Amino acid sequence: MVATADPRARASMDEAPIRNRSSRAELLRGGACAAGLALAGVTAVGLPGVVGAAPSPAQDERVLNLLLMVEYAEVGFYEAALRGGTLSGELESFAEIVAEHERAHLAVVREALGSAAEPEPRHDFAAATGDPDAFADAAGRLEDLAVAAYNGQAANVTPKAFAAAARIVSVEARHAAWIRSIGDRPPAPDATDQPKSAAEVREGLRKLGLQL
Amino acid sequence: MSELDLAALDRDGALEEARDGLSRAGFLGTLAATGTGALLALADDAGAAPLRRSDVEVLNYALSLEYLQAAFYTEAERSKALSKRAAEAARVVGAVERAHVKAFSSLLGRKAIARPRFDFQGVTEDSGDFIKTAVAFEDLAVAAYKGQAAKLKSGAVLASAIGIHTVEARHAAWMRYLTGVQPAASAFDEPQTRAEINQVVKATGFVSSAPRTSARRSPRYTG
Repeated sequence: MVATADPRARASMDEAPIRNRSSRAELLRGGACAAGLALAGVTAVGLPGVVGAAPSPAQDERVLNLLLMVEYAEVGFYEAALRGGTLSGELESFAEIVAEHERAHLAVVREALGSAAEPEPRHDFAAATGDPDAFADAAGRLEDLAVAAYNGQAANVTPKAFAAAARIVSVEARHAAWIRSIGDRPPAPDATDQPKSAAEVREGLRKLGLQL
Repeated sequence: MSELDLAALDRDGALEEARDGLSRAGFLGTLAATGTGALLALADDAGAAPLRRSDVEVLNYALSLEYLQAAFYTEAERSKALSKRAAEAARVVGAVERAHVKAFSSLLGRKAIARPRFDFQGVTEDSGDFIKTAVAFEDLAVAAYKGQAAKLKSGAVLASAIGIHTVEARHAAWMRYLTGVQPAASAFDEPQTRAEINQVVKATGFVSSAPRTSARRSPRYTG
């Protein structure tokens, strides 16, 4: 998916099991475990892509294109759900508001990439938006995935890209908690949101209907 | 849904005063500054790969916000005065905020600042006041983390902090949902500076005393 000039950097973003850069990370994890809550994983599962490649404009491009795919998926998903016409009440107003947010996110990420922005992939969200229950379930997964995607790349980007992404990621987290609240599911089930690697994010997007 | 802001908590106009810049030195700023001297002295004590001073400072700032939140929810839970929904939120979120306190305290070790005293002035004993205050705290925490995260030098610490940042955003949305305010008020969450955050916290009057020392001590509310 990602056009990259350096296959090694690409591989490190996708697959590298991340070693803790610092023993502090283990301490952080230890403290959380003592509390009996799931703060683990942030460092145990690893920080996708932290290893190997230091932030650079070229890496920003790869990361932002990954996040662009997340935003394409979100916009496509909510627009498909609204076009489908099966939503009403709280779910419909959620979808309308969130679709608008996602369009704004997409515009920001695309603008940050300029001519390096990859084109929108095809998608099929028919199954994910077929009825209100399917929509609510898929929306929850998609928003959780978006949070994990942004968090997974936080340490990989330059300050400029970080600043842009940071304004977006907490709104994705709000969306996730919102749709979970509507469905009477725990809005914030863990003490920390665990990151996902680029490969995991692409896999998650494929499962939801983005044709990557 | 209507928008909610901190003015709802501004009982005596202190907040407006703070916003007008009449009160520059926020308590949390004092707190962080108090801690810093000792942190520098202790820096050499840490094991391998000690945290950078600037990271310690940012982490202690985060710890101060987590102390505030943990104490708030714990007191709310203990008050046994809240509605079922509010009490459940206080219980779950309180446990998470206490975990955050523990995480930052462990990470900082002896460099961790002490827990200040708090006086929540009764807002933990009324469901409506509790939720409005929770919304304000959580939105504030999101803006504070966002303002500080980019300053962290350690990639591992940054990645951990950002995962806590999004949990605060989930809490903010949850509390907003409970009180009927739009959980995501706009497409973007803006960062706030320490000075801005400190002014708001100071204006609440919830922080009633500075820690007496900067040595490590067990916070009262850590489970």
